[in-house]
Amino acid sequence: MHSEHYSGYRKNFSLILIFIVLISVLFILSLFLAYNFSKKFIENEFVSEKVKVLEESIKPYNEFFQNKVPEISYYNGYLDSATTAKFVDTILKTYPFVSKVVFYDLEVNNGPVRDGLNTGQFSLGPKLVYQFGDLVPMDSVKLFSRDETKKFNHRDDFNALGIKLISYVENLDTTKVPAQDELFTNFSNIRSNKITYLNIPRFEDLKIYKEMLRNKLHPSPVYQQDMLSFHMDPYKIRIINSRPLLYQNIRIEPLTYDPLNTSSEYIATEIALPGPFSDYKLYFISAKSFVDKEIRSYFIPISLVMLLFYSLLVLVAYLIFRNLNINHRMFKLQYDFVNNLTHEFKTPVSVIKIAGNNIKSAASLTERELKMYGKILDEEADKLNGLMNKLLAFTQIENNAIELNKDIVNMEDFIESTIESHTLKHPDFNVTYEVSGFSTFITDPVLLGSLFDNLAENAYKYSRPELKRLHITARLIKGKIVLRFTDQGIGIPAPEINHIFKKFYRIQNQYNQNGSVGLGLAFCKELVNYMSGEISVKSKVNKGTEFKIVLPYNN
Amino acid sequence: MYFCTLHYAMNVKLKLLLPVLFLLFCNACKPEKTVRIIPVADFFKSLDKSLYSISPDGKKLSFVQVQGKKQNLFVEDLATGTTEQITKFEEKNIKYYFWVSNEELIYYKEKAGAERFSDIFIIDRNGDNERQLSNNGRSRMRVLKEKLIDEKYLLVSSNRRDSSVFDVYRLNVRNGKMDMAARNPGNIIDWFTDSKGNLRLATSSDGVNQTLWYREKENQPFKAVVTNNFKSTFKPLSISEQNPNIVYAISDVNRDKCALVEIDCNKGKESKVLFSNDTLNVVDAQYSSSKKKFSFVICETWKKEKFYLDSNAKKLYSKLDQLLPGTESRIIDRDIAENLYVVRTFTDRNPGSYYLYDVKKQNVRKLSDFNPVIKESEMNEMKPVTFKARDGLKIQGYLTLPQHRNPVNLPVVVLPHNGPGNRNIWEYNAEVKFLANRGYAVFQMNYRGSSGYGKNFMAAGFKQWGGKIQEDIHDGVKWLINEGVANPSKIAIYGTGFGGYIALNSLYSSPGMYVCGGSNSGVINLFSYLKSIPPFLTPNLQMYYEIIGNPVTEVDYMRQASPVFHADKIQVPVFIAQNPQDPRSNSGEAIQFVKELKKRNVEVTYLEKEYSEFSPQGEDVRQKLYTALEHFLSNNLSGK
Repeated sequence: MHSEHYSGYRKNFSLILIFIVLISVLFILSLFLAYNFSKKFIENEFVSEKVKVLEESIKPYNEFFQNKVPEISYYNGYLDSATTAKFVDTILKTYPFVSKVVFYDLEVNNGPVRDGLNTGQFSLGPKLVYQFGDLVPMDSVKLFSRDETKKFNHRDDFNALGIKLISYVENLDTTKVPAQDELFTNFSNIRSNKITYLNIPRFEDLKIYKEMLRNKLHPSPVYQQDMLSFHMDPYKIRIINSRPLLYQNIRIEPLTYDPLNTSSEYIATEIALPGPFSDYKLYFISAKSFVDKEIRSYFIPISLVMLLFYSLLVLVAYLIFRNLNINHRMFKLQYDFVNNLTHEFKTPVSVIKIAGNNIKSAASLTERELKMYGKILDEEADKLNGLMNKLLAFTQIENNAIELNKDIVNMEDFIESTIESHTLKHPDFNVTYEVSGFSTFITDPVLLGSLFDNLAENAYKYSRPELKRLHITARLIKGKIVLRFTDQGIGIPAPEINHIFKKFYRIQNQYNQNGSVGLGLAFCKELVNYMSGEISVKSKVNKGTEFKIVLPYNN
Repeated sequence: MYFCTLHYAMNVKLKLLLPVLFLLFCNACKPEKTVRIIPVADFFKSLDKSLYSISPDGKKLSFVQVQGKKQNLFVEDLATGTTEQITKFEEKNIKYYFWVSNEELIYYKEKAGAERFSDIFIIDRNGDNERQLSNNGRSRMRVLKEKLIDEKYLLVSSNRRDSSVFDVYRLNVRNGKMDMAARNPGNIIDWFTDSKGNLRLATSSDGVNQTLWYREKENQPFKAVVTNNFKSTFKPLSISEQNPNIVYAISDVNRDKCALVEIDCNKGKESKVLFSNDTLNVVDAQYSSSKKKFSFVICETWKKEKFYLDSNAKKLYSKLDQLLPGTESRIIDRDIAENLYVVRTFTDRNPGSYYLYDVKKQNVRKLSDFNPVIKESEMNEMKPVTFKARDGLKIQGYLTLPQHRNPVNLPVVVLPHNGPGNRNIWEYNAEVKFLANRGYAVFQMNYRGSSGYGKNFMAAGFKQWGGKIQEDIHDGVKWLINEGVANPSKIAIYGTGFGGYIALNSLYSSPGMYVCGGSNSGVINLFSYLKSIPPFLTPNLQMYYEIIGNPVTEVDYMRQASPVFHADKIQVPVFIAQNPQDPRSNSGEAIQFVKELKKRNVEVTYLEKEYSEFSPQGEDVRQKLYTALEHFLSNNLSGK
């Protein structure tokens, strides 16, 4: 890492750190905002969702009011007590909030009646009055009969709607058919806890009603009208709590209900009921802690999603950091390689330059000098050539650009020629060998030669001068060729042992100050791989190193 | 009937038929011939010229002609051939007219905004002297005798005194004065005159029983002759001119099928049967006032047939058949001397034409076509069919198949007729032809309660609107499915009036049978239907209670049988058309019904008609109605 400042390679850890810190701040900030949002949202929902609860709970009433009540008109005044009883039965069963129904069998006459309303020649009077309901005692079903002397007592609803009918008929525009909703409002009366409905006569009949107000008609017409008064019990409305996690308790309370003791432990809201229930309201109350639970249940998924995003970002940052690291090492290795290679080339080139200079500046050259310079030039050129071949071969082999040239190799001959060339170069190199189990096998002799050269070179190079020894064994074990190169050199420190086969890797020590590129062992590994074999190493510092190569045995 | 014959033929002549069958099979391989879709407008055009009539002296021919939005009365001088327009209306509202003398005509003009209410006018044949005869806006008036008496009096019935009863008045057409000719004691429902215009016959009703009243001379009091239950048909036709105290009538009293009989009014009994047959139902008889005897009776089985009672008449009509071959003909009008006849021809495939038949010259002159754009070759036959209901009763009907289609697995439109007391007849029916042209087999049936099959068959339908009548429809459709004609998953039901009622009722009483149903001006509530009976028909209310049901004592049945209470049971798409102005319907109920269906997400096509499609202004309504119906049916019957 000491080369950082001049390598030009930038690796800014603080940048990554700042990034992590920023997103962490952002994360915490958004968590905070999300919590606030959830809280506001749930608090709003607490107020707004009451409409939904009201809609759901009041649905049966709307159905009753819009579908069931108009059904009375379908009977066109022909309703009798038996049919009404059946009709009311289904209503009481389906709509529990209807507690009692009073049925007025009315008659419209063109002359005065004793009980009822008389306006001009128009009169509306009850024939029979019945009441139905679960709590109505059997003996009080019939409330009034025209033929009996009992007084007509239950006039309240009758009068209200009767007067409404008469004033509507009085103002009736006989030239145009009235709209359905206009009729509905004029033939029904909605009061507190009560709906009264009068069957809507046909338009033709209404026109005659109008005439009956002023004139006596011949023959005197008689019309049947049915009036039903539905008594409602708002407390029987089935409350449908569509948000049980939001509203702890919903109940029906009078419109005036406003308890003083609502402490800060509770939050409450309310909404008025429609139509005949308008004196009542739905009262929603929840404990603060209960709402908090809902807030949490809303907040937790949000925060989990944010956490996921956050973790993703951190993971990405880490991956970027790791990539940077790897690239940095690669960059360093390549830089060292160029450095070493330059060194490597520098020596032969400077020798050649000196020899060339000497030859150029010398006035005359003796035979011996000529030979010496010739030898020097030749050797140094060979060195350069060798370096370049090595580099080339390595790139070729790395890119699978060469082909295997299979040939029969006699192991003993092969080892002996290798030893010979090395002892020729280094007379102080003591190489021994043994071959057992086989004598020949098929492989590429050139690749095998490179492998032997490299390993022998290394054994020589990394041994102390007095211990430049190498022992080569070649055995056939379990159908495989096992080659071992054992030296008594300086050994490889344990932490480095995993890196020695890497490209451009060099252990920093005195032995490889010059002439090492860090390619040798990487090259060996590539070669062995290429020959479908394996290479491994065992080493002890200052005791020696053993390379073991396993090759397939093809004979 | 048709299928039985086909089956029989196949058994007997199988060998002979084999090569033919092979050929047929090859034909079947070929793609079916494409059928031209005839535009809705062509089917439901209003007539250009209609309501032909001949003046009593046979010198003038009158007719109503439509020109754009106008409809006017025209008179043609038969001698010179010149035509004169005698009314000048900008709208279409002449409903009906007739000659009251050689010089004057009376026409009924529809009252604006009030359907089924008409004003009566008299006009000279050259268009002068137009006067309104009915003046009271509230009352109704009907001309009893289509002839002027003493050249100035017209016998009319009117309910101006009491809206529920009709008295008879002698209306002076010169000054518009009305003198009461006979006061209705309250129960008289119909009045009859003799050939001279003397009021001598009346029928009264207490709602259930009908009584015939007779007097020999106008200054005598009416005397009850005979009383019959309404379940029996007793229709007085005319008072005999040569035999005193004899009244001709169509009657099924003491027999199942109607016969033409003579009633002796002194004895109060049937004195002679002029025509009777155990299987034939007499629906009409033609009296010739010049020959003073009946020319023929008309009996109706699956189609109307004449049975001659007079050999001269037979000659006359066979000559007419020679002149107009291959078609049915009906006499529309004739002059007093019975020399000129307006004849209307038709078949089940041809809407037909109007002809003027001159007996003396023995020739016919074509006046106009009923619907010239309809080509006979593009129309299919209306075949009579018979099936048995579950209780064994034989039900007759008609089946019209779409053209060029194998009668197998077809989409079907069931078309129950209006009622009560109506029937489907063999005729050119534009609605049926229109549906057949759109590729549907059209199935019409004369369910029990239909007229024309005897009084027992008629009575079998009483109070069965939600019961056996519904079963007949169901059984008929089942039969058609078993015959292989109907595709069981493509059956629709549609009707008008009570036909619409039956259609809606079927949707919930035969669930799963129909993919959709339609009702045009349909009755959806029997309570309202009974309520809508106008006050002048109140004497008949008891009769309606017997036919429909009693809303006071049979509330449960009425409720069960009324579709309006059963919106929650209908699952399939519904088509509803109605005219909110129609005094017979309670339009609010239909709207409430539609709303309830929509609330349950049932697909509803709702059409509001401005007029009745049968009114003089009805052409646009017909176009709209049938275009909407076409869309509705094709949406629900095609595909799947």
